[in-house]
Amino acid sequence: MYKGTNPTCHDFNVVTMTPDSVSLVVGFSTGQIQLIDPIKKELSKLYNEERLIDKTKVTCIRWVPGSTNLFLVSHSSGQLYLYNEELPCGTAPPHYQPFKQGDGYAIHTCKTKSTRNPLYRWVIGSEGCCINEFAFSPCGTCLAVVSQDGFLRVFHYDTMELLGSARSYFGGFLCVCWSPDGRYVVVGGEDDLVTVWSFHERRVVARGQGHRSWVSVVAFDPYTTSYSEQDGTVDFSGGSDDETTQQNHTPNCTLSSGSSERSSVTRNSGNQASNRNSSGSDFNRMNAATCYRLGSVGQDTQLCLWDITEDVLRQPMCSKLRTSGVGGSGTFGVNGLAAGGAYHLNSMGGCVPRCNNVSTTLQTNAVASKDKECLADGNATHFHGMNMHNNSSAPSLTQRLAGLGFGDRKDGSGTHKRNFSLASRGGSTGGDKNNSSYRGSGTSNRTSADDPMRLIGTGACPRFDECPVLEPLICKKIAHERLTALIFREDCFVTACQDGYVYTWARPGKMGLASHIPSSPTTVTAAAVGGGIGPSGTVV
Amino acid sequence: MGANISQLERDIGSDQFPPNEHYFGLVNFGNTCYSNSVLQALYFCKPFREKVLEYKARNKRTKETLLTCLADLFYSIATQKKKVGSIAPKKFIARLRKEKEEFDNYMQQDAHEFLNFLINHINEIILAERHQSSCKPKMGIGEGPTPQPEPTWVHEIFQGILTSETRCLNCETVSSKDEDFFDLQVDVDQNTSITHCLKCFSNTETLCSDNKFKCDHCSSYQEAQKRMRVKKLPMILALHLKRFKYMEQYNRHIKVSHRVVFPLELRLFNTSDDAVNPDRLYDLVAVVIHCGSGPNRGHYISIVKSHGFWLLFDDDMVDKIDASTIEDFYGLTSDIQKSSETGYILFYQSRDCV
Ligand SMILES: [Zn+2]
Repeated sequence: MYKGTNPTCHDFNVVTMTPDSVSLVVGFSTGQIQLIDPIKKELSKLYNEERLIDKTKVTCIRWVPGSTNLFLVSHSSGQLYLYNEELPCGTAPPHYQPFKQGDGYAIHTCKTKSTRNPLYRWVIGSEGCCINEFAFSPCGTCLAVVSQDGFLRVFHYDTMELLGSARSYFGGFLCVCWSPDGRYVVVGGEDDLVTVWSFHERRVVARGQGHRSWVSVVAFDPYTTSYSEQDGTVDFSGGSDDETTQQNHTPNCTLSSGSSERSSVTRNSGNQASNRNSSGSDFNRMNAATCYRLGSVGQDTQLCLWDITEDVLRQPMCSKLRTSGVGGSGTFGVNGLAAGGAYHLNSMGGCVPRCNNVSTTLQTNAVASKDKECLADGNATHFHGMNMHNNSSAPSLTQRLAGLGFGDRKDGSGTHKRNFSLASRGGSTGGDKNNSSYRGSGTSNRTSADDPMRLIGTGACPRFDECPVLEPLICKKIAHERLTALIFREDCFVTACQDGYVYTWARPGKMGLASHIPSSPTTVTAAAVGGGIGPSGTVV
Repeated sequence: MGANISQLERDIGSDQFPPNEHYFGLVNFGNTCYSNSVLQALYFCKPFREKVLEYKARNKRTKETLLTCLADLFYSIATQKKKVGSIAPKKFIARLRKEKEEFDNYMQQDAHEFLNFLINHINEIILAERHQSSCKPKMGIGEGPTPQPEPTWVHEIFQGILTSETRCLNCETVSSKDEDFFDLQVDVDQNTSITHCLKCFSNTETLCSDNKFKCDHCSSYQEAQKRMRVKKLPMILALHLKRFKYMEQYNRHIKVSHRVVFPLELRLFNTSDDAVNPDRLYDLVAVVIHCGSGPNRGHYISIVKSHGFWLLFDDDMVDKIDASTIEDFYGLTSDIQKSSETGYILFYQSRDCV
């Protein structure tokens, strides 16, 4: 499509999706954005074509949940723009006027008579600090943004209020995702850690140590996350005294969208707004999880699977957890806690994490690199088929899983193909080397609240021994190149790596099903060979 | 060269050019890039530069040492009229060749060996000079036994303390021993981070068979478990990536080009329980890079951070580079290519010292 540029990220609009039409936005390394329909094969529109809005690499692109025409784009310049696909981008660089400002961020609107793109510009973090990824909460209300300055910032998307933040132990945060119930945000970064942040408590509640290098993708596995039977709030095994404070521990989807002047711009379609609300109430009815299954992949070519249990997450921030003595690793595994804690896993009764349920016949991961929306084709009925783990009597989940490895993938012919269109995350041949502000280290306009020297020891960045350290359930090298994508599906999960290979890994007992993944002309998904691994409950 | 220099000023922008800062390349006198690259890295370790310039100001008329040559060189860079250019470190190289015969030739040397020699040698010079000045007037006064020598400014900047804890597997007694270090030398693994390499540095090792531990409690050689952790974190943490491995089958050192990522910020995970400041936060300030295929061939360059931007020093040439190009120096994920440009010595500076 362009010379000297390559696609870096993409997103499908799951609201407007039909069996014969889909809106796909693609971001490019030189800043342009393209809207295409890979089914109808008509090249539709270009945004930021002359790079008047932003010259730097597009790092993440997402349709605004529930919207037919709004999408949000982040750049390595540290800016986030809201576009309306129906509006023009103008022939001159936009002039901005301040709209809203807060701690470590500012939001601007375009100063024009006629409405044009971008509708909003968010400037996040210190000047020129690359936004690496952002993610909307499952209910669509909140927006989590991670940047090279080592911050996770969680905003209420409509009111544009900063709800909370976290700081990496060191280095940039590279990836972010929400738990299926919206109660936790998990980030991965250059500290080689997986960091779990509680939305309700607005603090870091756990860190996962297992990767041997930077963590490039984190994703919850909604199909192996277990849920309690109660509606609404969770039974926290006796912690009832502070039940009242648990009221708002999920992004509140029914929260009125604060500034009405803004909602008129951002949700300009009435039935879309109601769509969002209805999905929100679905979400409120949903049960909270009691054990989360998280996956992460990194530059170490490893996949880690983590079980995050409520009793770990419920530990108050404590001063010293470090064990001493030679041989002690200074960390403790989740299995030890799980055995000691009173965590009971109820039999499955849960419903599926809310996602925009779309036609499952439409598998549109044609350019799939890291499209978590692909998970949306989940269906509640599939859950009942899985015998979720009931390990109340199990001595150690980790031990029992330790013997399970990945079946050796036969590296033979035809098991994988090149995917030319994969995002080249961190590729050294990126077109925009002269952007002096990429990964900017400018300490100039860092406010004292952003100072990591002050944040250490607080809920935003506990000292290493002040916070539970999780060990992975499984930690396995699965590729020869650094991994760039991880998507959980009902019967498999998909990984991709820097050299363009895409692998599909069957869940145990789901071998036959894995092969049903359709291949559109540009799809290169290949079924995995070998035993696969056991992320689902069937092996436990 | 003239065009290159003005290009650097243009790249930085005259209004952006930091006042009182000079970016000067160092002329190569025949395979002296191992020295040039380390000297540039050290010059941009601000605490070190300041102390060297202070030394220059205090010691006007001392006899020539490697330290006075270094101080003259740093002073010469710091007092240039022009902002950018190049300088010939002639006197320093001549002195270096006199001081250590290994460096008295035109062969490529190991930049880490040079750094190690330079830091230790400077420290000895300071200790020797302190000894001279404090002993002469005190002659005959007769004080008690000499107390623990006061740390030099080289200690204050580079010295950290490792504590090695050993647990006898027979009697379970844990003994610990402290040792000073000026840099940490870490093994490199493919597709890892420097964080991981440091963690491995502190992995528990079992001392057995030929390598048993002499336990004082058992009064005999016993099997034991040992691990080394950082007890005192230095102001400037110099990390040497052991990229030259001796291979018996080739009878020579082979370069290990493994991809090891290093973040712009770092904290240590391998600190001891009694560490004073275990969550010290470091910023990457300089990297010495080895280019080529082996220890005695190839080339050394360095990248440094100065006033928020990054510069690449390649002998007499200086270029402003984008921070995103740092990833070009992480290493290679495949072993097919023989030659690589890889980070070799990393300099991290503690944030609380600025
Ligand atoms: Zn003993």
